[in-house]
Amino acid sequence: MRWSMEHKETWLHQTNPTAKLLLFLPMFVVIVFVHNPNVLMNWAVGFTVLFILFSGYRMKHIFLFLLPFLFIFVSTSSSMILFGKGETTWFRWGLIHITEESFYRGVHLGFRALLFAIFGLMFALTTKPVLLFYSLMQQVKLQPKYAYSFLAAIRLLPIMIEEFQTVHQALKVRRAAKASGFRGKLELVKRYAIPLLSQSIRRAQRIAVAMETKGFTNDRKRTFYYEVKLGKYDVYLFVVICMIVAVGYYMADVFPYVAVKDVR
Amino acid sequence: MQTKGLKLTDVLTTVVIAIVFGIVYKVWGPLYYAVKPLGLHIDQLIYGMWFIAATVAYLLIRKPGVALLAEVAAASGEFLVGSEWGLEVLLYGLLQGLFAELVFAAFRYKRFDVAVVSLAAIGSTVASLVLDFYKGYIDQLAWWNLTLLISARFVGAIVISGLFAYSLVKALEKTGVTQLLRPTSKEDYDSLDQ
Repeated sequence: MRWSMEHKETWLHQTNPTAKLLLFLPMFVVIVFVHNPNVLMNWAVGFTVLFILFSGYRMKHIFLFLLPFLFIFVSTSSSMILFGKGETTWFRWGLIHITEESFYRGVHLGFRALLFAIFGLMFALTTKPVLLFYSLMQQVKLQPKYAYSFLAAIRLLPIMIEEFQTVHQALKVRRAAKASGFRGKLELVKRYAIPLLSQSIRRAQRIAVAMETKGFTNDRKRTFYYEVKLGKYDVYLFVVICMIVAVGYYMADVFPYVAVKDVR
Repeated sequence: MQTKGLKLTDVLTTVVIAIVFGIVYKVWGPLYYAVKPLGLHIDQLIYGMWFIAATVAYLLIRKPGVALLAEVAAASGEFLVGSEWGLEVLLYGLLQGLFAELVFAAFRYKRFDVAVVSLAAIGSTVASLVLDFYKGYIDQLAWWNLTLLISARFVGAIVISGLFAYSLVKALEKTGVTQLLRPTSKEDYDSLDQ
């Protein structure tokens, strides 16, 4: 959604969206099965550097994007640090029980969350959603009815946001934009959700009817306005990811930062 | 033209609703980590919001596959507008949608009451816990803390994605839009006979 923000088109923007997705998604699984915090720290550094150098965004914007992730880091690691199991006690106060094991496990979880965040941000900031869905239709044969539904929904987003503001102002004028208590808050969500959802449903229906009358079919043999192909940049990305993974692994073995090799 | 599976109308409506929830999911993120540092898993009570797309879409459109599609689409929407959790939301969305879908399938897509959506919310909760088990080492939390986490998440899921989702759809029914969506039911035919 932020692709309208000023940025340079780097080679990361030139990669094939599907290829990028298929390279990033397995990393999720790989990261989940890494239990050595040293490896994750190296990877976090490596991929953050890749992101900062090649996302094409200005440093101050990148720092703004990364700010919420510090919250995630703290909040993900804190409950494990404070309440996790462990043998070597560092600190105990009431229910809070910080141990060496739980501390490293918490930090490990923080880095894990940070890595997921970097991958997500790197993908979102260097991919145009429209091209992603065109590419999914062409490279992995996603059915057109799904792809075009997503494309239409993305187009509707600005209208929905405008509608939200209209509803908000209407409720504010009637002093109905605030509520107290859990029940009240849920009622409030409803007050916003009903008009937005019902309008969206009507609009979706109209668009679907219009598409079908204009001859939209789910036939996969079709021409595409945007031809999205694989290219050399996808190979570059693959090589870079492999290098960061391998070097990070090797360095963690040779020059570990912390003595803990397995946080479980 | 499109005989098998969902029709374009169903898919489009599901995806559009789901994207609305995708934005809610995104806004829910900051709220979630704002209450998280309070400790003791109060945040888990609002976790259930992340399962609501599946149950609402199913209650509205009442067809097989809608719950899964809605949850995946909502997760994609959340991801594309820049979720704090990044790519991980896609996997969570996929699994949560799948578990909700399985609950609806177990009732052969014939029940649309508050009990069945609450069960679907429980299904999604189980899915999220399975992923947390691998990703977050939650089994390594002290037992009282883990119990608190799990029960808070279940309660929140049932309240938000079960009861609240149901009442939301009931309110939407009053606007009349649901008549556009649902396949003609037996009652409709019966009313013609009279």
